[in-house]
Amino acid sequence: MTYSDVLLQQVINGVSLGAMYSLLALGFTMVYGIIELINFAHFNVFMVGAFFSMWILKLTGLAGEKVILTGLPLAGVLLLALVCVMLFCGVLGVVIERTVLRPLRNVPGTAAMITTIGVSYILFNVILLSQGAAAVNFPNPMPKVQWNVTVGTVLKLREVLLWTIALLLMLGLHFFVRRTRMGKAMQATAQDQEAARMMGIEVDSVVMTTFFLGSALAGAAGLVFGLYYNFASYVIGYTAGLRAFTAAVLGGIGSIPGAMLGGVIIGLIESLGGQLIATRWTDVIIFSILVIVLVFRPTGLFGRMMIRKS
Amino acid sequence: MTESAGAKAQAGGGIASQWRRLTAVQRRRAILTVVSLLLLAFPLIDRNGGDIDAAANACAFATLALGLNIVVGYAGLLDLGYAAFFAIGAYTYGALASWQVQPLWSDFWTPLQWLGLVDRFHADGVPDVVHFTFSFWIGMPVAAVVAAFFGVLFGAPTLRLRGDYLAIVTLGFGEIVPIVARNWPTVTNGAIGLNGVAPPKLFGYSFGVDSEPFYYLGLLMIAAMILISLRLQNSRIGRAWMAIREDEIAASAMGINLVSLKLLAFGIGAAFGGMTGAFYVSKLQTATPDMFMFPVSVMILVMIVLGGMGSVYGVVLAAIILQLLQSWFLQDLTGWIHALGKWVDSAWLQRVDLVQSIELIFGIILVTMMLFRRQGLIPATRATPALTLDQQTAHASRGGFATPIRGIQPTPAEPKQAMIEVRNLTRRYGGIVAVKDLNIVVESNSIVALIGPNGSGKSTTFNLITGMDEPSSGQVFLLGQDITGLKAHAITERGIARTFQNLRLFSNMTVLENVLVAMHSRTTTGPLAATLSLPRSRAEEREAQEHAFEIIGAFGNRLLPRANQLVKELSYANRRRVEIARALASRPKVLLLDEPTAGMNPVETLELSDQMRSLRQMGLTIFLIEHKLNVVNDIADKIIVLDHGEKIAEGTAEQVHSNPLVLEAYLGRKASHA
Amino acid sequence: MMIRINRRQLMMTTVGALALSTLAISTGFAPVQADEKLVTIGIELPLTGADADSATRIKNGAIMAIEEANSKGGVGGYKLAVTVLDSGTSTAGQYDPAQAATNAKKFVADPSVVAIVGPEMSGEGKAMTPILSAANLATVTPSSTNPDITDPKFAGQYKPNGKAIYFRTVTTDAFQGPNMANYMRDTLKVKSVYILDDSGAYGVGISNAFEGQAKKIGMTVMGHDQLDPKEADYTTVITKIKGLNPDAVYYGGVAQAGVKVAKQLHEIFPSVIKAGGDGMVDGGLLSAVGFPAIEGWYCTQASPHVMDDASMTDWVARYTKEFKMTPSDYAITAYDAVQVIADSIKRVSAGGQPVNRDTVRDAIQSANINTLQGPVSFDENGDIVSKVISVFEITHDPKSADDDVQHQYKYIGVAPESPTS
Repeated sequence: MTYSDVLLQQVINGVSLGAMYSLLALGFTMVYGIIELINFAHFNVFMVGAFFSMWILKLTGLAGEKVILTGLPLAGVLLLALVCVMLFCGVLGVVIERTVLRPLRNVPGTAAMITTIGVSYILFNVILLSQGAAAVNFPNPMPKVQWNVTVGTVLKLREVLLWTIALLLMLGLHFFVRRTRMGKAMQATAQDQEAARMMGIEVDSVVMTTFFLGSALAGAAGLVFGLYYNFASYVIGYTAGLRAFTAAVLGGIGSIPGAMLGGVIIGLIESLGGQLIATRWTDVIIFSILVIVLVFRPTGLFGRMMIRKS
Repeated sequence: MTESAGAKAQAGGGIASQWRRLTAVQRRRAILTVVSLLLLAFPLIDRNGGDIDAAANACAFATLALGLNIVVGYAGLLDLGYAAFFAIGAYTYGALASWQVQPLWSDFWTPLQWLGLVDRFHADGVPDVVHFTFSFWIGMPVAAVVAAFFGVLFGAPTLRLRGDYLAIVTLGFGEIVPIVARNWPTVTNGAIGLNGVAPPKLFGYSFGVDSEPFYYLGLLMIAAMILISLRLQNSRIGRAWMAIREDEIAASAMGINLVSLKLLAFGIGAAFGGMTGAFYVSKLQTATPDMFMFPVSVMILVMIVLGGMGSVYGVVLAAIILQLLQSWFLQDLTGWIHALGKWVDSAWLQRVDLVQSIELIFGIILVTMMLFRRQGLIPATRATPALTLDQQTAHASRGGFATPIRGIQPTPAEPKQAMIEVRNLTRRYGGIVAVKDLNIVVESNSIVALIGPNGSGKSTTFNLITGMDEPSSGQVFLLGQDITGLKAHAITERGIARTFQNLRLFSNMTVLENVLVAMHSRTTTGPLAATLSLPRSRAEEREAQEHAFEIIGAFGNRLLPRANQLVKELSYANRRRVEIARALASRPKVLLLDEPTAGMNPVETLELSDQMRSLRQMGLTIFLIEHKLNVVNDIADKIIVLDHGEKIAEGTAEQVHSNPLVLEAYLGRKASHA
Repeated sequence: MMIRINRRQLMMTTVGALALSTLAISTGFAPVQADEKLVTIGIELPLTGADADSATRIKNGAIMAIEEANSKGGVGGYKLAVTVLDSGTSTAGQYDPAQAATNAKKFVADPSVVAIVGPEMSGEGKAMTPILSAANLATVTPSSTNPDITDPKFAGQYKPNGKAIYFRTVTTDAFQGPNMANYMRDTLKVKSVYILDDSGAYGVGISNAFEGQAKKIGMTVMGHDQLDPKEADYTTVITKIKGLNPDAVYYGGVAQAGVKVAKQLHEIFPSVIKAGGDGMVDGGLLSAVGFPAIEGWYCTQASPHVMDDASMTDWVARYTKEFKMTPSDYAITAYDAVQVIADSIKRVSAGGQPVNRDTVRDAIQSANINTLQGPVSFDENGDIVSKVISVFEITHDPKSADDDVQHQYKYIGVAPESPTS
């Protein structure tokens, strides 16, 4: 492998990482755009999604790398898992919103955010106490296909799958927000809740839909994570969460294209930073970016344009 | 039988009735005394070294909670990375009191050696090195100062961020500090952890590994911090912090320098954290980066949420409860569940370990407290007794303020010197021009009214004058001095005070406290003076309270009986009066009133008009936004009319009323002109 | 006569009840009057958090030894009681040095405790030893391998009263890391290596020791990176390693990061020789990584490998039957630790002396007995005299369960203490 091969491979790695962060940042930034709430629980919904999708896949008979599927059965199984986990996590998000967050919606200050920290802790510890601290093997039904981009650089099937799913979900969200009635209601509520209410928009159900969608995306990200890394553990929400949060802030919190771009940028920083500097400093670099963005340009790259067209 | 039972009831009733006769303050003192005695006697009652050790650790976490209480509870700054300061203090002391850091010996170190702070270490074959031997009693304050320094360093760029963003940034710092500690082995020995940090020595006796001296030192630290917290809470600084917590914008309008006070809170909180870090590491004699991670910050936050943000005793109680939970109750409960499991022969029950679920319990505490009891176990605010019927009755009085109000006096000024002058003032928001090329003169000792239809830029003008907003171009002068672009608190200091259209009171503070806050720029007691309760600051506090009561009393029965009531419990009209009282407390030269009579009935409106007139008589200048034209006609010396951000008329009431532009602006054009 | 309770009385009663019950519970911790013929052995392990699995296996090994001793009528006429204390807290997610220190003090406060088995982790040991030394209470650790604690250089910190109280039935990373370097160069013919660690106290220690020796014997160390165990993605650093193309990768650390290292190395750079320390010997790791990804890893243990010996079959069967899990190698060293303590108690009692901490400590210092792992004796620092590092290679045994530690790690041999050249 030549050095340029290494760099190219790192770029591929970075974009894959970035796609993961984007997916996670999307749901998070949507919720913030609507109700200006930093939802800490989002990242542990993602973690729960990874475990849930693992169980779904195991139910269909998959285990470790022992069963490999291709073509239609593969697509079918993945689709089934995707739909199930998105439904489950979406409902989980709605339950959280209704029981814990709605009563606090009009309380000023950081009360709601503190509550999401509490919910996050609860999810984290329920999984920890019930599943244990050790990582668990995630079924990997995909065949080991890869292509050589250059002599030394490879692009794996699972990376292509990750990018495809992430892109499809992002496009789907984009379409939903721009074209459907509910999407427009979401845009309106994001800009001015009072005015939206006065226009006859039922803000409560808009918020609920937002949480459903955002959490469903988190669940999808959990499935994608499991397929990509082939393991699940109770801590995965933590680091991925902070990186995805930085991605959302960098891109402009409340902006969908911002989350996508921010995710890729953070992923590239992680991989190229690890290559050129050292992985032990990645966290410091990313947090410094977070602080710098918040202090000097809090609107991020795309500004707080809420869920608007790019 | 009945007789002795009756006698017992008498005796029991005796204690109960004695208790009832004590005042709230005496009761609190009694409880505190009993609790303190129990705490002091604890190691003598329970001689188990392990328990005393756990109790000493609990003291450390209680002091951490008290430190965070100042940041979160008093100043309202949510800090999710408080463990960073704990770590900084610990490693600072660790570097100063262990063999970890060993620079080469040079003459620079000789004076320090003479002071006993360092030692020269000689090993054969290698150059001499420095061995840091700082005494704990010097090292701990140094650790506190270093932590405070980092608090200011982290806070300076970030404290102006909004609450939730600030929380995230502090979370980031809380993550970065352990990472740096892990990656800087020369100072911290990285992940392996410090070796051999020296324990404190008192009169030659080293604390060693005994837990008792640490426990008592911990109790002392808690007591000291409670004292400092309470002294700060009831001082000018504490009130300023609480004002910031309640409403930042209003606070800065009251003359509070937001940046320096937030930094002060952050720095003091950091210092407490650093001090505790030194204590903790000197006890454990080692430190690893893993000891200072996010879960520690959350645990301290849980203590504050459980105890009550801003409530000193609540926070300590919560720290004790959580520690007891972890060390004793959960273990015992687990034991009982295991016994139950054996009894019903359930293997699952026998394997349950509640001690492991303490983090889950933290999450549940956070959620339930926020949902159901946001004020915590021991709320920071106290309930007020109900008012008597007499106190509730208030009659509108005419004639304005009967007695002169301290601080309101004529301003010596040059003749023809305007109090406020606005020149070519413009404010653009993107494509919208809110205020355009405004030229206004407010003469000294006059009442000038600013009127105009909704959206004409009146409140914007006020904001521009008082520093809440920055003009796009133009200038503002106060008594000839250019005050354009100054921050709000600086402008208040120079003598402009204001009220707000939509009321910006400090809802969770009392009427008295609201008025006292406004005196911030006229008083000087700093945190040190307040903590030490110097005679100078006590005198200043007394004087301020007298002044405040004077002002409140000027409003008669409306505010005086309610002086110790929370402002959010007052009627709308009374809250307007509190706003005015608050504005008067800062001894202004000119008062900007934004719709002061909104929500008042005609009689109350007349009362307030009279009061404004008497203020003018006392020497005050008043600049007034009003919609009630009868008030304007009644008391204004000059009326200025705005429409769409521009001045369209100026003059006396008659002049303005007959001005066709004014009529058009208010009433619209005639249909034939459409 | 009606009893009217008002709120104040209720509050006072509650406070009083709480205070009383607190006192009651605390006196419950007061030392139990020891039966003349009963002594207590303490067990101190991180039974909560990331290391719970390995800690439990160790605990069971010790408990099995204690139960067997009691069933034979005790030692030297004394029955053995057990007190187990957990140094793990869920706040730390693993062992907490402060909790370990508190546990040490609890043991010290209990006069019936004459010796301790534990701790598992060296981080606990650092916090505990000053306290144990002050009380002259000996502990025998079955798995703590950081050499600092018994290093005479740090004697002032870890045994301030001068006498060794930290005994090991396992050898240290001063040998585990370097001996593996020797083995890799001599047997595996590795010329260049890239080192990773998991930023933990154990991982950094062992990988530094490995690195020192590797450089000394002429291996090219191409780099040494630290990983964040909570991070999921190591593809960046592994891609970097692949670009440099070393012969081998050495990972010092425990399973939390080890799982991801193994999986991702297999994905990206499967041809490289992979080696690690005893942190990679873990059933959970085997099942989380799965075969074929984990196949081929070389791991070390800081004790001789005896589990496959015919003489051990019976022991393993008894362990598995009683605790419903297979033993780890450190379960054996824990069993050995108890045997050392039991033997010491017997000798003290036979010598007519009272059985207390001081006498037991002295007896442990002079111990020389045959245990499951072979002959065990200690040098003046408390380290075990025989320094055997066993090397294993993970080889899939389809007949056994994936997470069966005993059968999936194939014993290769002993890592040489010194290189052949």
